[in-house]
Amino acid sequence: MTTLLRTEGLVRRFGGITAVKDCSISVEKGSITGLIGPNGSGKTTLFNLITSIYKPDTGNVYMRDKKITNLPSNRLCHLGLSRTFQITRLFWDLSVLENMIVPVRQVGFRSLLGPGMYRYEEVRAMSLLERVGLDHLTNEPARKLSFGQQKLLEFAAILMADPELVLLDEPAGGVNPTMIRFIMNLIRSLNKEGVTFLVVEHNMGLVMELCDHILVLDQGAKIAEGPPHTIQSDPVVLDAYLGD
Amino acid sequence: MGRWVRWWPLPILILLLIYPWVYRQPYFHLLGFNTLMFATMAVSWNIMGGYTGYKSLGHSAFFGLGAYLVAIAATRLGWNPLWSAPIMAVVVTIVAMLLGWIMVRTSGSAFVIATIAMLLIFRLLALNLRSITAGAPGLSQPLPPWTPEFSRMPFFYYMLVWLIVALAVSAYIRRSRFGLGLLAIRDDEGKAEMVGVNTTLYKVVAFGLSAYFVGLSGGIWSYFATHISPVFAFDIIVGVEMILMTMLGGLGTLWGPVLGAFIFVPASDLILFNFGSTTIHLAILGALMMLILLFLPQGILPTIGEWLEERRAPRAAHTGARSMAEMHEKKPV
Repeated sequence: MTTLLRTEGLVRRFGGITAVKDCSISVEKGSITGLIGPNGSGKTTLFNLITSIYKPDTGNVYMRDKKITNLPSNRLCHLGLSRTFQITRLFWDLSVLENMIVPVRQVGFRSLLGPGMYRYEEVRAMSLLERVGLDHLTNEPARKLSFGQQKLLEFAAILMADPELVLLDEPAGGVNPTMIRFIMNLIRSLNKEGVTFLVVEHNMGLVMELCDHILVLDQGAKIAEGPPHTIQSDPVVLDAYLGD
Repeated sequence: MGRWVRWWPLPILILLLIYPWVYRQPYFHLLGFNTLMFATMAVSWNIMGGYTGYKSLGHSAFFGLGAYLVAIAATRLGWNPLWSAPIMAVVVTIVAMLLGWIMVRTSGSAFVIATIAMLLIFRLLALNLRSITAGAPGLSQPLPPWTPEFSRMPFFYYMLVWLIVALAVSAYIRRSRFGLGLLAIRDDEGKAEMVGVNTTLYKVVAFGLSAYFVGLSGGIWSYFATHISPVFAFDIIVGVEMILMTMLGGLGTLWGPVLGAFIFVPASDLILFNFGSTTIHLAILGALMMLILLFLPQGILPTIGEWLEERRAPRAAHTGARSMAEMHEKKPV
């Protein structure tokens, strides 16, 4: 197995609080890696550091051994790194189909001056929309979708950029059990097609069932990692969750 | 009938073409030119303010810059403004892109204030770089070669050509991948960046393009007015009016800025004509604009669009979730 994403000694302070403290993690290519930890343990901050939304105070992020620290977010997307947000973010006034087209990799001025959407892109978008069951809503503005549908659309849209690594921030947050099942199956089948996932999730059942490797954060630092069954019985992890 | 609907701009174009021959008094030529000029500028401003959502209050800086560049080229180099205006507007675009590269780092109200500051700086420069701009008294240009009673007609048609070009550019942008990126920036800039849109580049290019036709209009106007001075060339009201017309017609729509200008310019002239002896006309105009913003906050075109949508057979609440059973069957492959 090769390492796809690696962070080295990331530190990020907000005023007097150190949200991420000397955090070094690595994500293996082809894995579904879970990132768990109590509330406020720095999971989302870590995501934001990896995706250049925040600048780390010290430390570096590497993807395929290329340093990507502080690279503009749009460049990360072109390198094959995509993410979803804890609170779903879409282009609310654009149609479902347009939301799918924006993330298509755009190279050079030529493609910018081209039409808004090429036929082959539309075909690709439609097949992905069909896969997540949104193909009947193509021309609806994103804001008219239900919460679950918005989540699915956000997920489907980032796939248009052909990501190699996808960071999912609470993919099951606030959706019903049937939808959770659906999203899990989707993640699994995409993983089989070669997409690597790093997943932040609070639903422990889901994490244990879905992930093949788990990283545990507490107070901004990694306190444990390993396969699900060892994490479940790790005293350090239990201590972090249940407190002392 | 449906087949003919898409040709609706044609009769309007024909009306515009015969307008100067029907209303032959110089006043109507002035009104016509002003309307077309503001329509062009509003279409241009809309590329940044409407599509991208960055509302510049300082676009009259580009109007004044275009006016001065053309006037200086005419007086010093003898360049005819009619062909130098589109060239000087390229210079305006480059200047706008350089300044935009700094300014688009701000957003929301900070961006608005930055654009106002930009305008004031240009005005100060025009007032004080006396060796180039002749300072407060301003610059005079040679009169157009054609006869006085005929004088405004060529300007009218010339401006009409550029309005059509501006509309074509705006329509093209809206349908291109670039335009889709601009709309995405307007909706959620952080998200757009995250899905691979180079937001800084997009905003800088949009800002430059939106300055082009404003600078061009300034250039043509300087020849039309024959005399320009800093106070009129760099007048913040010009920039504010571009915005008001765009909002009146429909922010971020293709035709909204044109519709807004065609209502706003004649209306403000009419008010000026009737109440101009005091400055009360400004207050009346302001009150009208407030009423419009209160009752048509989205502008005319989007409001009509929504109204038509509602009147059309009330669409079945089709957007609801698919049944969960259906979802369950649909196993991802």
